[in-house]
Amino acid sequence: MSGVLAVRNSIESACEKQVQDAGLDGTETYLQPLSMSQNLARLAQRIYFSQAWGSEEEEAAGAEGDTHDWAGAGSSADQDDEEESLDVAVVTCWSSTNPIEGGQKLTKSVTENKENKLKRDFNSEFLQHWKLRKVGDKILGDLSYGSAGSLFPHHGTFEVIKNTDIDLDKKIPEDYCPLDIQIPSDLEGSTYIKVSIQKQAPDIGDLGTVNLFKRLLPKSKPASPHWQTKLEVAQNAPLCKEVFAQLSREAVQIKSQIPHIVVKNQIISQPFTSLQLSISLYHSSNDKKSQKSQSPEDHLCVLEHNLHLLIREFHKQTLSSVMMPHPASAAFDHKRMRLSGPQAFDKNEINSLQSSEGLLEKIIKRAKHIFLRSRTAATIDSLATHWSNINDVYESRVKVLITSQGYEQICKSIQLQLDIGEQELQDFLLSQMSQHQVHAVQQLAKVMGRQALSFSNHVGLGPIESIGNASTIIVASPSRDYAISVRNGPESGSKIMVQFSRNHHLHGPFKEWNKMESRNFVYKMELLMSALSPCLL
Amino acid sequence: MGVTCVSQMPVAEGKSVQQTVELLTRKLEILGAEKQGTFCVDCETYHTAASTLGSQGQAGKLMYVMHNSEYPLSCFALFENGPCLIADTNFDVLMVKLKGFFQSAKASKIETRGTRYQYCDFLVKVGTVTMGPSARGISVEVEYGPCVVASDCWSLLLEFLQSFLGSHTPGAPAVFGNRHDSVYGPADTMVQYMELFNKIRKQQQVPVAGIR
Repeated sequence: MSGVLAVRNSIESACEKQVQDAGLDGTETYLQPLSMSQNLARLAQRIYFSQAWGSEEEEAAGAEGDTHDWAGAGSSADQDDEEESLDVAVVTCWSSTNPIEGGQKLTKSVTENKENKLKRDFNSEFLQHWKLRKVGDKILGDLSYGSAGSLFPHHGTFEVIKNTDIDLDKKIPEDYCPLDIQIPSDLEGSTYIKVSIQKQAPDIGDLGTVNLFKRLLPKSKPASPHWQTKLEVAQNAPLCKEVFAQLSREAVQIKSQIPHIVVKNQIISQPFTSLQLSISLYHSSNDKKSQKSQSPEDHLCVLEHNLHLLIREFHKQTLSSVMMPHPASAAFDHKRMRLSGPQAFDKNEINSLQSSEGLLEKIIKRAKHIFLRSRTAATIDSLATHWSNINDVYESRVKVLITSQGYEQICKSIQLQLDIGEQELQDFLLSQMSQHQVHAVQQLAKVMGRQALSFSNHVGLGPIESIGNASTIIVASPSRDYAISVRNGPESGSKIMVQFSRNHHLHGPFKEWNKMESRNFVYKMELLMSALSPCLL
Repeated sequence: MGVTCVSQMPVAEGKSVQQTVELLTRKLEILGAEKQGTFCVDCETYHTAASTLGSQGQAGKLMYVMHNSEYPLSCFALFENGPCLIADTNFDVLMVKLKGFFQSAKASKIETRGTRYQYCDFLVKVGTVTMGPSARGISVEVEYGPCVVASDCWSLLLEFLQSFLGSHTPGAPAVFGNRHDSVYGPADTMVQYMELFNKIRKQQQVPVAGIR
């Protein structure tokens, strides 16, 4: 067709030479390909020289080429960690320039080969747990939580060095490790956070002090080498520091009714007026004297677990898909916050996006909950023997059954949500118990064929109770021979009056009845009712 | 974001801008409105650079870059009768990079600052419009939060405005006119502010209420 320009086609082969640099005008500079000896040296670097045949066999290979390329080949085990290694049983080679020195070199090569084997086992284990990188001629590792999503500016680098603490003449100890760890001095020793709740009023029990993240330097477990435990202990330090930094930042920023106090490395807050919660960061150096055994943690270990979980959750959030990937110009924040500009969010909407509750608030809430729960449990224990509860992180529910011994069919079951105070709880339970007595009489009357003439849960007669209300019931026999009136109040106790009939009408004085001894109230009522029924013989 | 009406309050006779603002705010407080901090709306003008104009010699367009403290993380860019862009605050930095295409007009920054009052569902902002060091007028913004459709609540807004502006109550803003039933957005508020600022810029001196 006319008018269509012909297009030049060109075919380019696959790039054989590696591009070193590309100029601004598009020209490319290529790397010169390696010569044969260089190529051979490069391949030899990737071979593990292991002791497969025994050291007696040697072959002097007439090696041409540079000696320095081959000298590095034997120690490839600790350098080429990422590349695959071929387990080839080849040999030590000498170049023609080095004279053969005989037996001494043989012994050295034995130990070196053993070392290499240990190194290989060590590498696979080490690399499973820790990330290493090579900087210059040092091997550095990272024990901070940065890769887990922490934004705390603590580098946490340790160095892997060769363990020169070996004497070739003596026997090599069993747990010998050819490499050793050097940890920066501020990570040495143990760091832990201590959470304690102290009472400030005499009647509240001290929930005690607990040390969080406290790790006594344990004896090395037989399975894991000493550097593993050492590194794990050192890893606690950045974590504790981060937790404490976050807590103290929040303590200063958030406004609460009773302000939190941050003093040096201690945060003091008051969840309740008579209660003091203190969180402090301790760092003990590695001396022998500071390693006294601490008392074992009691029930406050849930707070340790909580703090640990909360900070890890925070780490995960920074790596979650809502945060990452994010544009280079955006702040490190929730995805929706990036939209707040283009969608013109106002202050209310922005506040709702930002996380409302911080670490400290959660811990205080949790501490309050633990405290309330233990006090409530103590209260219920003082009144009852068996009760069950269902627990959540911030809520607990309790089911209490009130029965009388021998009359378990008549029971009153209460389900409570534990968010009321201790005294109110006690009052509530006592009033429920008194109501139960009267309910029990009502049930009993039904069973025994009596009629309840009147029943009131909250009667307005008689002395005023300070806790709850008194309940009353009047029970009469079907033939109206007698009537029993029972009044039971949480404070005033029970009062039983009996009225006898005259001429088949119930109008006589009520006489008080308190002569009967019996196991419990309901039993007494049963006996009374059966005693009063006329004996029809 | 509810329906908003932005209007200008002429300065009371024989009084300064400051005193008129005080009169207004006192009226609001008597009404029962609650003071809730301050607000600020500012506007910068840019015109398209001469180099980008075509050979036909069309007139350069004016672009307004505005900020509103009610939307602290946003930046608004609008042309007079054209679209309004809502961006985040990086847009200001972008404008610096676009110096070749948009040049800042000299001494063009105009802003209004004042207090913010909340009266049930109404949000009232009374501000002093300043250009440089001089106060040029008074802006009154009333927002009715619950409603987002202009035609539904204009009469309610008008009644509320009458209760404290009295005879200076404005008519329905032009933005309501074009699209009665569509949802009101922050961009419409900024258009109203732009029109107000332009009107004030054109006035040479502070307008006085009443006719001699």
